[in-house]
Amino acid sequence: MMKDFVLKRIVIVLLPFIQMYGLYVIFHGHVSPGGSFAGGMILGLGFVAFATVFGLDRGRQMLPEKVTTLTESYGTLWYGIMGMIGIFKGFPFLANKLAGIDVGVPGTLTSGGLISWIGLGVGIRVASTITTLFFTMMEEKP
Amino acid sequence: MTAAIRANLPVFAVIAPLFVAFVLPTFARRTRLVEGLVIFVQAVGLWGTAYLARLVLAQGGLPIIYEVGGWSAPWGIELVVGNLGAFFLLVVAGVSLPVAIYASGNLAKEVEGARRRAWFYVLYLLLGGALAGMSITNDLFNVFVLVEVATLSCCGLVSASQEPSGAEAAFNYLILATLGSGMILGGIGFLYIVTGHLNMGFAARALATVWQDYPHVVWMAISFFMVGFGVKAAFFPLHIWLPDAHSVAPSPASAVLSGLAVKGYIICLMKVLFHVVGPELMQVFSLNRLLVLLGMVAILIGSILALGQDELKRRLAFSTVAQIGYIFLGMGLLNVKGMTGALFHIASHGIIKSALFLAAGAVITQTGKERVSELAGVGKKMPITMGVFTIASLGLVGIPLFSGFVGKWYMLLGSLGAGDYLAAAVIVAGSVLCAGYLFPVIRVAYFEPAPADDWQEPGVRQRLALILLAMGIFVLGTIPGPLLELALAAATDFLVFN
Amino acid sequence: MRILLSKLLINYPYMASVVLFIIGASTVLTRSNLFKKLIGINIMESAIFLMFIAAGNTRGGAVPILDQANPGASYINPIPSALMLTGIVVSVSVTAFALALIVRLYDSYGTTNARRIAEMRNGVADR
Repeated sequence: MMKDFVLKRIVIVLLPFIQMYGLYVIFHGHVSPGGSFAGGMILGLGFVAFATVFGLDRGRQMLPEKVTTLTESYGTLWYGIMGMIGIFKGFPFLANKLAGIDVGVPGTLTSGGLISWIGLGVGIRVASTITTLFFTMMEEKP
Repeated sequence: MTAAIRANLPVFAVIAPLFVAFVLPTFARRTRLVEGLVIFVQAVGLWGTAYLARLVLAQGGLPIIYEVGGWSAPWGIELVVGNLGAFFLLVVAGVSLPVAIYASGNLAKEVEGARRRAWFYVLYLLLGGALAGMSITNDLFNVFVLVEVATLSCCGLVSASQEPSGAEAAFNYLILATLGSGMILGGIGFLYIVTGHLNMGFAARALATVWQDYPHVVWMAISFFMVGFGVKAAFFPLHIWLPDAHSVAPSPASAVLSGLAVKGYIICLMKVLFHVVGPELMQVFSLNRLLVLLGMVAILIGSILALGQDELKRRLAFSTVAQIGYIFLGMGLLNVKGMTGALFHIASHGIIKSALFLAAGAVITQTGKERVSELAGVGKKMPITMGVFTIASLGLVGIPLFSGFVGKWYMLLGSLGAGDYLAAAVIVAGSVLCAGYLFPVIRVAYFEPAPADDWQEPGVRQRLALILLAMGIFVLGTIPGPLLELALAAATDFLVFN
Repeated sequence: MRILLSKLLINYPYMASVVLFIIGASTVLTRSNLFKKLIGINIMESAIFLMFIAAGNTRGGAVPILDQANPGASYINPIPSALMLTGIVVSVSVTAFALALIVRLYDSYGTTNARRIAEMRNGVADR
């Protein structure tokens, strides 16, 4: 835990922006560089920065282990459910435009169809994995 | 709805275990639910793969092609359930169901804590899903990803036992296996640079026309694949990690690692060598000679090293090295008989080695004795366990009526057909050596006076799993039927394609 | 000879990846410190990533984002880059897992030297 006042203020101010940016990268994975892994990493590193500056206990309060386990599991399950949409409509697994999902104008946010939504699940999974890794490594008693 | 499920069975075979695995940690403490779910998934998986295999057999070997996301071949990822895919899916499902039943009974004695056990099942299901994916994917990069999933879950399974030697074996395995995956990725890279395709069919067609322009790059790619998959499959000079890793893991883990995981990499290597590179090109690079030679050395050295081990699980682990040698030898013969023998040996060794490891695990957890010399009289106290061990030993040696015989017989015919009498002699000598390291266990267990200790048979579920595997050995030995048919068709696909 | 040299110079990314691969592989196989082995693995994997990405590059190619207003003359092949992103994820997980194992080994043996660990384990087994 760090005692520096400036650092604490800056992290508090920046945290929402970091997370917004992470979500932005996740949702724009199909039109710009980045995507669910990079975005999820940014999302997770926001929490890591918070926990480094405010101490592990405050970090754990904000993101308890139960929550990360749930998001890790259901983030991946979300991918599966999104993939199943194709099957329910009578098309192969992960069918996108085939299954009648709107894919708008190329180059815009909606042009990915299912991709952004699948990316959301993957991004949440990556973010929770990164935070879990961080907490596991930090809480290890020497 | 049922029609939709049937049409999507190939993809369900891969994703069902994976997604169930991801959900398990959320109710990790409810052990009963976790075990029930795992066994249910495996049972449904067995039913589904049996259905797929029947479909493939009924179609006369015409593959079922599944395009993920509806994107066709060069752009999308294909899952191809051909003869080989259906064959290995059946083997994976058939072995992992009894092992899961056994694990639900025995794991509490080998791994402490409900959460750790739940994580064990997570890794177990991930390994199953990855192996199913390896058997049916038709995309080179997909192969890499699935191989990597399988490797990481194998390392996790090895380190599941709390002993520090487990962590050491897992680390050594992880380092060597990652070296191997780096090599595999490099090989895929070279093939992609030369052919411009990641789909195996398209890469094969491109390679047939361009390999003369870049013989060295193709050579590099093949050698990278050989070393990469060789490390993971414990092919002879690269087997050093296997005895440690397979002997310290909990016994259900040892069973799947020795019985299935190693075979998954061999199936991938077969796909790359025969479906992409092709038998003609293999002969140009005299790869078949290398496979036969190293296979022979592996059989002899692996068996001789197994003879010298007193620890039961280590002895079985070294025996795996020798049996892998058989499979590579059969592959290198480049005729349909030898190939069929190799494929059938994959199935029969999967079942036999799982039965051996599970029986050994039951003996070790019930008696606490890990060494062969200490097992005097176990046969009288634990008749079912040692009976299954005996049946499996007879099967591995290759006595007729047991499944090991069929594979070895076909390999023998194949080596005689190829005019390779030395290989035939080594196959027979390997069987004799196999008897040499397995029969002493049986002799000690049955014919030496039992100590006064009160040793009990393991629980109902362990016995059920052992009996299921023993029945499998019998059935495959007496009526190999559909499985042999699939192996024969797959071998024909390998050698007579385009 | 000059042709060979110029070929090597033109393909410098491949040469760099070969050198990196050899450095990484030899580090893994010859060093006995567990951390050095892990670093060797990472160097080796980056060598392969470099090779893949160099294979996808076209000289003077544009970023492969389709801009319909002014399409570029040639694009970089995006497939190798996308594949290597997956490869990087895999390598991250391998690294994390290996680090966790090293922590466990250090807890039980008190050293990160593979040779000393093997000696200690064999000593225990003999007794």
